[in-house]
Order: sequence, then structure tokens, then C-alpha cells
Amino acid sequence: MTANTLNYRGKVLNFTPENPAEANIPADELHEHLQNPSTERTRRLKARCRWKHASAGEFVEKGVQAGIERMRLLTESHKSTVGQPEVIRRALMLKHLLDNATLVLQPDEFIVGYHAEDPNMFPLYPELSYMAVLDYLKTDYAPQPAAEAAAIVDYWKPYSLQSKCERYFDPIDLQRGYQVSTMEGPVFASGYNSVVPPYETVLEDGLLARIKLAESHIKHARSEMETFPWNATTGLPWIEKIDNWEAMIIASKAVIAWARRHARMCKIVAERFETNSKRRAELLEIADICHRMPAEPAKGLKDAVQSKWFTFLIAHALERYASGFAHKEDSLLWPYYKASVVAKSHQPMTHQQVVELMEMERLKISEHGAGKSRAYREIFPGSNDLFIVTIGGTNGDASDACNDMTDAILESAKRIRTTEPSLVFRYNKINRASTLRWVFECIRDGLGYPSIKNDELGVAQMLEYAKYSKTGNGATPEEARYWVNVLCMSPGLAGRRKTQKTRSEGGSAIFPAKLLEITLNNGYDWSYADMQMGPETGYAVDFKTFDQLWEAFRKQYQYTIALAIRCKDVSRTMEIKYLQMPFVSTLDDGCMELGMDANELSEQPNGWHNPITTIVAGNSLVAIKKLIYDEKKYTMVQLMTALKANWEGHEQMRQDFKNAPKWGNDDPAADDLISKYYEEILGGEMGRNINYSGGPVLPVGQAVGLYMEVGSRTGPTPDGRLGGEAADDGGISPYMGTDKKGPTAVLRSVSKVQKNQKANLLNQRLSVPIMRSKHGFDIWHAYMDTWCDLKIDHVQFNVVSTDELKAAQREPEKHHDLIVRVSGYSARFVDIPTYGQNTIIARHEQDFSANDLEFLNVDL
Amino acid sequence: MTTCTQCEFFNIIPKEADDYEPSKGDCVTEKVDEKGAYWLSKPVSETADACASFHKR
Repeated sequence: MTANTLNYRGKVLNFTPENPAEANIPADELHEHLQNPSTERTRRLKARCRWKHASAGEFVEKGVQAGIERMRLLTESHKSTVGQPEVIRRALMLKHLLDNATLVLQPDEFIVGYHAEDPNMFPLYPELSYMAVLDYLKTDYAPQPAAEAAAIVDYWKPYSLQSKCERYFDPIDLQRGYQVSTMEGPVFASGYNSVVPPYETVLEDGLLARIKLAESHIKHARSEMETFPWNATTGLPWIEKIDNWEAMIIASKAVIAWARRHARMCKIVAERFETNSKRRAELLEIADICHRMPAEPAKGLKDAVQSKWFTFLIAHALERYASGFAHKEDSLLWPYYKASVVAKSHQPMTHQQVVELMEMERLKISEHGAGKSRAYREIFPGSNDLFIVTIGGTNGDASDACNDMTDAILESAKRIRTTEPSLVFRYNKINRASTLRWVFECIRDGLGYPSIKNDELGVAQMLEYAKYSKTGNGATPEEARYWVNVLCMSPGLAGRRKTQKTRSEGGSAIFPAKLLEITLNNGYDWSYADMQMGPETGYAVDFKTFDQLWEAFRKQYQYTIALAIRCKDVSRTMEIKYLQMPFVSTLDDGCMELGMDANELSEQPNGWHNPITTIVAGNSLVAIKKLIYDEKKYTMVQLMTALKANWEGHEQMRQDFKNAPKWGNDDPAADDLISKYYEEILGGEMGRNINYSGGPVLPVGQAVGLYMEVGSRTGPTPDGRLGGEAADDGGISPYMGTDKKGPTAVLRSVSKVQKNQKANLLNQRLSVPIMRSKHGFDIWHAYMDTWCDLKIDHVQFNVVSTDELKAAQREPEKHHDLIVRVSGYSARFVDIPTYGQNTIIARHEQDFSANDLEFLNVDL
Repeated sequence: MTTCTQCEFFNIIPKEADDYEPSKGDCVTEKVDEKGAYWLSKPVSETADACASFHKR
């Protein structure tokens, strides 16, 4: 429990609440008092929000179900387009879907559009993973009619991405991948995906202009093909380009027609059924917007938000599934904010109306269901999917990118209190104080976001990756400043060109804790899969030196990471052939210029892979080295016996291993070895793999909910952990409860890892009384500046008391607004299974001692 | 046999629409569940047989 006073630099600091009224709120229900929607309308919208969160793989809300419409229309189109070029088939598939899909319009909403035939439903993707769709057929969420759904899945099995890729792998390797114990299942088996759509293009140009551009390219191509003399070497490449441009035109026209169907629906409801005159007028306004967006360039902020929403639905749910909501929202919308709020030249609005609009966008995202397999519902407990928006940072000229749009986004998040979308703030020491204050208030209100990324490290990374560009057209210094988080952690370019279009470029996970476990057992997973999971690298009982164990671990890691990345690149190859994205390609200036599909063109490499359960392995290596090889207090035979017994009957031994030096305490006894493990093995070995784009693949350490799922599949480990216990909750976070030397010791530990990393997630839990006191902002600000100076990549915060968490466990119905940061995303605490809740309660609540404040050099 | 063209919820698609086809219309209906009412719109042919939601114009 935090003391309410502290002696610091000759002063007695009081940590009473900055808002005196909070003194009257019981500490164990604070978060229920923080919501403050900006209007009655957004209060109503939140009250009737059709949440799509899942907990332990089950949807929390009643009545959520998979839809059949997308599957049905996709299949009809596929059957009718046999013989056409594949990219044209993909465009025609999108057209058939958009021409015939049921549209949804809900009362009170201003941003319109949904991706399934009913707001309680979500679409499925049989063309991606047949296993993921088969999973649904066995559940209460099965699309109906069930017989039709089963027939559709059967039809797609041979055409699916999964089937196309599997044949290029040894069945044993596939089996190992499908266990999800040493690595995340192959990307082609899950259908899970990410994309960074070029929203800038559609808002700036409008689709009609893109159609004209493609038409002019086709005209030029045909003319080139018809010249005399014919030269096949230069003439034949035009064929594929013509197909790609034609597909772009088909897709774009279909999207315009679909958007205008929304306009028509709003007009019909307004003129024939709506009795409220204000709502009638509003529906007619929406109809006008939907008629023009995204066909035309956006003029005002309402245009921009609707155009962006339509683009999101196509890129993330209709053309193909993709998790995420990646864009630099404040920069993207700033020109339209200026037009509407500052100049009031188009769709005049006040700043407060912008806040309301952003609240409405947050609620639309919260309703957006994703048809993920059970495994993926389980690894994001308490959420519907990952939706991460990036704000802040710096502009292309290195000036502060924070503006009033940034503040509106932050204020809307603080007021409406939803778990999605999460926000990432690119922290730079030149960011304006007024915006930092909003960032701080969101964090101290316990939203778990903004998650903070180091702006300059991200810029440097984009420039470094640019060196590997296959086309010699990687990020320029100006473009390198326009980066966003592609999903929870990894920077990638945003903008009109060069953005990441598929998860096979970067994403998916590897599990070092399980790799260490099998390293001790000659590559055999005895505690979960009961099979050989890697090469036979020997039994730990035979290793005479720690170096032998280290090298065996390296070999296990090499095998698994090469397999995992190969899975991604084989998937990429098949995505290029069969899963083209003509709509997304339309928006990318490179794809348009070169006549290439978005999966195929790679101008900016962005390869990464996520080590998850890293610190369990790191702490275990430290304990083994100390207690077995250095001090020889125990033998490896004794350790293996204890592990196979899950430490039962070996309690003292377990305590010794538990008490071995741990990461996160600025202790060289742990940090030296663990830093080496990060830099030499996790990053060094991963970086030797070159992906499709020609660049290295580097680690993005993180966890999402996989630290729970994979923890449950990982046997007892030499850090003193019991088998089945959750693993560490972030890429570089200390194991829950083991960071005991204060928050600045954690920073000092983490700052030691610098080489061969792309990103590393750091979870920290900060004291509620300190953060909510009048000193909270100054302490946090000093902490962040220190974090920045130490060149740390990331940090995200929980600010919630153990009292409140335990009260929520006892009476969940009274704590619906309690939000926590899981890892890379936020969730309603009561929607997380108890197993996961307990891991958050176990995270150490950091107090700031006088020594910490001295280290931060904070002036209070 | 009643057809969609006689239904209150049927709206013929105008000729200038991007998705115009002869005799194609929007079927715009209201649905209600525990969370409230919402509108759905899907394309139908005016000659299609009336469904269970049919309501004479």
C-alpha cells in the first residue's frame, strides 16, 4: 500500500487526490465514477453498444453469431468466375459481395456501415483457413443454415490459403507448428492478418480519381503492347499489370456503389419511416456524405471520418480479414479538422462536436466483430480484436505533430471509456504539454492506453529497414517520421505508399519458455504436446557446462524461428497468387504506378516476429547458471527431477530457484546474461533470417494474452514457476511481482537491451494515489523523459488498485467500467477469465521512492 | 401470388444508381432485438415472392 506522504528534497509531499471530490469515492470503485460521455447521444450509444468481446474464447454478449452472407456470396462468385485471371476473380468477388450484402443502419449513429448482415454478426473467411471456419461449425456461434455453411467450408478447403501452403511443408514440421507450444500456429492456418491501408489516398483523392488513373495506365499499357516492332521482353509484363489495374477499377466501382447503397438506405429511412425531424435531417446529411464518400475527396471532417470508416470495413473485413485499425489518426484528420473547426469552410463543427464524433467512432469499433478461431479469441481475452490507433510524435520536418485533433481523440477516449480502439502515443520530448496532459489523464484513469512508443527510435528503425528495400525506394527521412504501430507494438510506415499490407511481412510468435523447456529434454515436449518438437540437441543432465546448454537452446531457437518465418513467406507467395487485394492496391501509389498487387509489391521491408514468454526463459537461464553451474548448489539431475514432479516434494529447492536474481531490478547478476540472451539469441539469430522483402526479421517482444495461453501449456521452469502458470506479460516486462526495486530500477534493466531488437513491450503498474495526486503529472512526465533518454522503446501502464480488482472479482456486475491493460491491448477486467485476472493483480504496483524521484530528477 | 413490388418495404432502385438493374430494388426493413431497433437493406427483385415480413404498401 502506498504511503500518502514522502520526504523528498527537504519537502513533505502529500499524495492526496488532485480532484478533492475523489476523497469521497471508495477506492475499490473509483473507475465506475470516471466515465463522462460528452453528450447524451454517446451515453445512449454506449448503453446499447453491441460489444463483441470474448472471454475464454466465448462471446460475452448474448446473441453474437457468425454470419453466412459473406461466405455465401464469396462462393457464388468463385464458382461463376472460373477461367478468369485470379486477381480479376478477387475483384469480382468483392463486387458480388458489395452489390448484394445486407446493409445495416442503427438509430442514433452518425458513422454508418457494418461488415455483416446483422449488427450481432461477424463474417467468416473460408478462403483463408478452413480450420478456423470448421471450428465455428461446432459451436453455438455457427453460421446458419448449418448445412449450407458446412458445404461452403468443404468447397473452399482445396482453394484455401491453408491448403495451398501446407503441401510445401514436411508433415512433422506442420504438426509441430499446430501444437502452438514452441511457436504460434502457421499464419496460413489461422487466417489472422494485419494491414495498414493507405487512408491518406482515399481521403485526398477519392476513388473516382483512382479509377481514372488506372484507366489511363491501362490505355498506356495497351498502346505499348501494340507498338511495332513487338518485343516480348518489354511487352509481356504489361499483361499482369493490365489485370491488376482492371481489378482495381472493378473493386473501386463496387465500393462506390456499395457506399451509395448506404446513401439510398438513409434517404429511404429518412423520407419514409423516420418521424423525428432532427434525425430525419441528419439521415439526409449522412445520405449526402455516403453518396460522395469515398468516391470524391473529403472536404470536411465528417466526410473524412465516413470515408475512412468505409475504407476500414473493406480493407479489414470485406475484401479480406485483417486485425488492427492502423493509421496516424491525428495527422490524417488534421486537414479536415482545420476545414471544419478552424476555418469552418466545410461541415462546420465545434471542437466538442469533434470529441463526440470520436466517441462515436470508438463505439463503432467496439461493435466490430471479428470471425477469429477459438484460439485467437482466447489469446485476446476481454477484447473483440486488436484495434490500435497511433497519435503524437513528429511531422516530416521533425516538428511536433500534436494538434487539437490529437487532443480530441484523447479526450474522447477518456470520456467514453471503451477498451477499443487502443491508442499508441509516439512520445517525443518536444511534444506539447497540453497534449501530454491528456495522455497522462487517460493513463491515470486506468484505460491502459495510450501505450507509449519512443518516437525517435521508430523513425530510426524505419530508415534502417529502408536500406533493404528491394526496389531501392524505401522510406525517405520525411516518410520515416510518418510511422504507426501496425498492430500492438511494431512500427511500420503509414501513408500513400510503402505500408505493410499483410501479416506475413511481420507478425506471429515464438515461445522461448517452451523452447528452453524442450532444450532441457533433448528437444522433446514432455509436459504438453508429448512429442519431439525440435532437433535432438541432447539432454541437460549431460551438459557439462552452461555454454553447452546455451548452444543447445540456440539450436532449438534457430530451428523454430526459421520454420515460423518460412511459414510466413510461403503464405506470402500464395497470397500473391490467390488472395490479391485489388481495393487496397488501388489506394497504394506504388501499386497503382507499377500495376502490382499489394501483397506482391514490397518497397519498405518491415520484418518481425514476436518472442512471447521471454523472461520466464531469461530468469530460468540465470537461475540455472547460478545454482547449477556457478555455485553447484544443485545438480541438473536434481533440477530435472524436481521439474518433472512440478516441484512437489522439492519446496526448498523451488524457493532457491525462485529467489535467484530476477530481471527488472537493475541487478547485473540477472541483467548481464538476460541482455546477452536478448541481443545474441532472440535478436541475433532471428535477424539472420531474411524475409520476402529482402530485409532481416527482428524481434518484437510482447505478449497479448498469449502469456496466459502458452503459459498454461508450458511446464514447470527453472525460475521457480509451476507448470501451467502464466508466463511474463510483456516482451521485456519483469515477471509479475518480481520487480521489487522500484520503477526506475526497471527502466535501468530494460535500457540495457539495445541491439538487434525491433520493439519490446514493457508493462508497468503505477500507484493510484501517486498518479491521481497533484504531483502525478510531474512525476509521470519526468519518468517519461527519463525513459526517453534511456532509449527505451515502449512502456504501457496499469493504474488500478488491488482493492478495486479484488472487489471486481467478488462482484463483477458492479465493475463494468473497470478497464485494465492486459498486454498490447486493454480489456474490461470482468471480461477476463479469473486465471488472467489474477496475473494482473499479481503485477507489482510501483511506488516512487525518494531515490526514484532523485533518479528522475523531478522538481516538485 | 404476392410479390415484393407490392410490399411497403420495397424501394425500386433509380436508373441513375451505380447498381441499377431493371426490376431490382432495396428491401428496407426494421428489426428489433433486446438492444433496440435497427434497419437492414438488401437487394431484391420486384418479382420475387413476398417473404414473411411482407406488409402491403
